[in-house]
Amino acid sequence: MSLPSLAEVEHSDWPSLQRMCETLGLNPKGRSAIVRMRVADYVRHRAHPPSWRPAREHQAALLTRLGHPDLAERVWESTIQLEAPAPWVGLGHAQLAGGFLAEAAKSFARAAQMGDASGELHRAEALAAGGDYQGAATACEAYLATHARDLRALLMKSSFLARSGFEEEANKVLHTAAELHPEVALIRRTLGFALLRTGHHAAAAHALQEAVHRDPKDVDAVVGRGAALLLAGRTREAIGVLREALEIDPKRADALNNLGVAYLAMGRTKSAAVNLERAAKHRESPRILLNLGKVLEEAHEPAEAVRAYEQVLKLRPKDSEAVAGRKRVGVSAKARRTPRKRVASPRKAAPTTRRKTTPSSEATTS
Amino acid sequence: MTLPSETTGRFLPSVGRLENTMRAARRAFDHGDLEGALREDDVAIQLKPEYDAAWLLRGHIFRKDGNIPGAIEAFAQALKINGESQEGWLGLASALHEVGRFEEEGEAYDRLLKIHPRSIEAWIDKGAALHALGDYREAIACYDKVLGMRPEHAAAWNNKGAALLRLGDDAGAARCMDEALHLDPDFYDAMANRVLLYRKMKRHGETVFWADRALRFREAPWLWYVKGTAHLGLRESTLAMKAFERALALDPKSKEARAGLRKAKILHQTKDFYRGVYECFGTLLVGDPGCEECEIRARCREVTT
Repeated sequence: MSLPSLAEVEHSDWPSLQRMCETLGLNPKGRSAIVRMRVADYVRHRAHPPSWRPAREHQAALLTRLGHPDLAERVWESTIQLEAPAPWVGLGHAQLAGGFLAEAAKSFARAAQMGDASGELHRAEALAAGGDYQGAATACEAYLATHARDLRALLMKSSFLARSGFEEEANKVLHTAAELHPEVALIRRTLGFALLRTGHHAAAAHALQEAVHRDPKDVDAVVGRGAALLLAGRTREAIGVLREALEIDPKRADALNNLGVAYLAMGRTKSAAVNLERAAKHRESPRILLNLGKVLEEAHEPAEAVRAYEQVLKLRPKDSEAVAGRKRVGVSAKARRTPRKRVASPRKAAPTTRRKTTPSSEATTS
Repeated sequence: MTLPSETTGRFLPSVGRLENTMRAARRAFDHGDLEGALREDDVAIQLKPEYDAAWLLRGHIFRKDGNIPGAIEAFAQALKINGESQEGWLGLASALHEVGRFEEEGEAYDRLLKIHPRSIEAWIDKGAALHALGDYREAIACYDKVLGMRPEHAAAWNNKGAALLRLGDDAGAARCMDEALHLDPDFYDAMANRVLLYRKMKRHGETVFWADRALRFREAPWLWYVKGTAHLGLRESTLAMKAFERALALDPKSKEARAGLRKAKILHQTKDFYRGVYECFGTLLVGDPGCEECEIRARCREVTT
């Protein structure tokens, strides 16, 4: 015999209530509210209690996630026992969520002292959140003393070292991680980009090649490898790789830009201009536009070059490279364009008094 | 300079030893061995006199042992060391409550609420202290605070209902008790308050019904007495006699129960109604399908108020 649910009992009509009483062997006589209560009592006391009820620890963890760190903190405090590090970790997270970084770091340290090594990793996060990246890296090191192969700790340490300015040390940690976990392609990729950022172009190209070898469709790694080869002076190889990248994703603006730069280095100005123009279409970035401007200058198209520099100045009004570029090629372009403009735009032909008394930089040069 | 080992031990108590002692004290307390717990706790206090946790435990031990002045002193000592301890303030306040020092109890909650303004326990207990002092409006304000934070807090609804009942707002009290019983259908205190409410309203049928429900959970002589008087109102002299007899069995000195029994016996000579299977007797509701089919409807109509 299956019991009706409490909702069924609450909403059933009088005949259904009487049927329930009959089925359950209960007295069906009396006021309907009383009979309903009788059935509900029976169901409540006989239904199986829920197999799981949230303990205080669960409640505290949920409160942190629901955005009530102050309440979570109090519940965690009530669960603290002499030998259990877990509540200290939970308390630390609640304090972290509440913005009490120093207290959070202390709670995590307490958990670590009680034997939970992961407390050090949590402490590292708390320290990093407060901007103490060196302290965070040290905390990771403490964890790695007992868990030397732990990938998460290695990556965290590398990231904190890089953020505290120790990029070479960060690269070394990534190297170690890559050696310990050759099965994880992502590490090679991360290492490659880290090496690229720190100027180790050849090594970066090598690491990224390994990443691409593992996942040939990893377009980021392919583009990164192209950039590394280009910076390492292996222009021909770079062109080949960047073309491969564009075969996978023809709209990659960074690949188009790098390819343009590579063509320029090879003296193929037209190809460079074509690729850079395509790159600028996909992404209006000052860097791409500056490159385009330079290429157009070399291609003896000053008007187009000025247009590219002016586009940069729209994005970054005081960009020194763009100002210098416009100065370099601006004279000839202006000489050709000015009369047309005067005819075409009446607003410019009627300057205000203030404009007359304030000479522009262009006027000074001319 | 090297200090002799016993001297270093005295000045630098081992953290390990202190924690072991505290653990032993807690274990003994949890197992109900108050003497053993106190012995271990004494050792912990000797090792570290400024240890608030040890003083708190001492307070709990004394409280459980019935030594309330000792408990108050121990909690006060713990609070001298750590004035922000929620456990300390709650312990002190509950010990003060036990000796009827409600005003000081209220002050203790105020201090705690300054530190933890969202402490549900402090707000509800402060409300109870104010209720005991007869300041029902302020008590209601405390319960409203709790209900603002936790609308599903059955005890807060019940306490608010009890305070409204004292203020004469029967409809408001009934609403609060409804909420409390909706959230926790087996809430004894809310059932008992409902009995008092219906008794005040002279609705004998409901009084008997809720008294029966409450008595299923816990027996109390006053509940049996109230049930007996409600049966008298329903002209059920046998049931009234039984209720008064039970009240007297639980509290033989009850004069009210004895007087009630006398009245029931007198009534028994003239009237005695038998309700049979109708536990809702005296609560007739016109139009209710159950009442329409009721076999003792006419009699029920007579006694329903």
